Amino acid sequence: MTRWLATTAIALLFALNAYMPHSALGRRGNERSVRAHVAAAARLVGQPLPALEFEDGSGRAVRLGDLLPRPILLVFERSVDW
Amino acid sequence: MSVAYRSLSGIVGFALTALGVLLFGSFLAYQRPGSEAPLPGGPHAHYFAATAGCALIAWGGALAAGAIRGDLSRSLGTASAFALVLMALMRMLAWFSGDYYVAGDLPRAEAAAFLLAALGFVWLRPRNTERKIWS
Repeated sequence: MTRWLATTAIALLFALNAYMPHSALGRRGNERSVRAHVAAAARLVGQPLPALEFEDGSGRAVRLGDLLPRPILLVFERSVDW
Repeated sequence: MSVAYRSLSGIVGFALTALGVLLFGSFLAYQRPGSEAPLPGGPHAHYFAATAGCALIAWGGALAAGAIRGDLSRSLGTASAFALVLMALMRMLAWFSGDYYVAGDLPRAEAAAFLLAALGFVWLRPRNTERKIWS
């Protein structure tokens, strides 16, 4: 009985391991596709920034234009789902 | 105790001991003045890697002993299967994390191998009746 319980748990983990690349979180592409995306985005270097809009710590919308003409430092940090 | 179980215990035990010695050796190598870090990371990474290395040596040694002495092998098989499943879970979580992105599908492949080994320990370990014969 214990063997079958352990086997079921391990089989479920096997299935999850196989399913992971097809999940929403896992569907992030391989390194080649990410690099291709970065190369495409790099063509925008030297162009004016688009009108970006963010949310600050208190949930208020902040547009990039609102911060001008003060100098702005944008820091991009990766998250788990990047 | 079957030959397959004895072989599985021996092979996994040897692999774990070798990895433990490697991790502990990395810590020792890092202590040499002016040495390059053998592992990616600083003093803290080497400190904890050496600690993990000691535990791996103990685990590997116990498995190797279990391959020889049948009275220990069932309990060791259960504990090893549990630890292998934990290691697989850790790798499956790591696969989702951006921190290990450069490793590609390696964590998933390792997780699959560990789950397979865990299954082997679950099914090949001696039954309770077999253990009583040894004691």
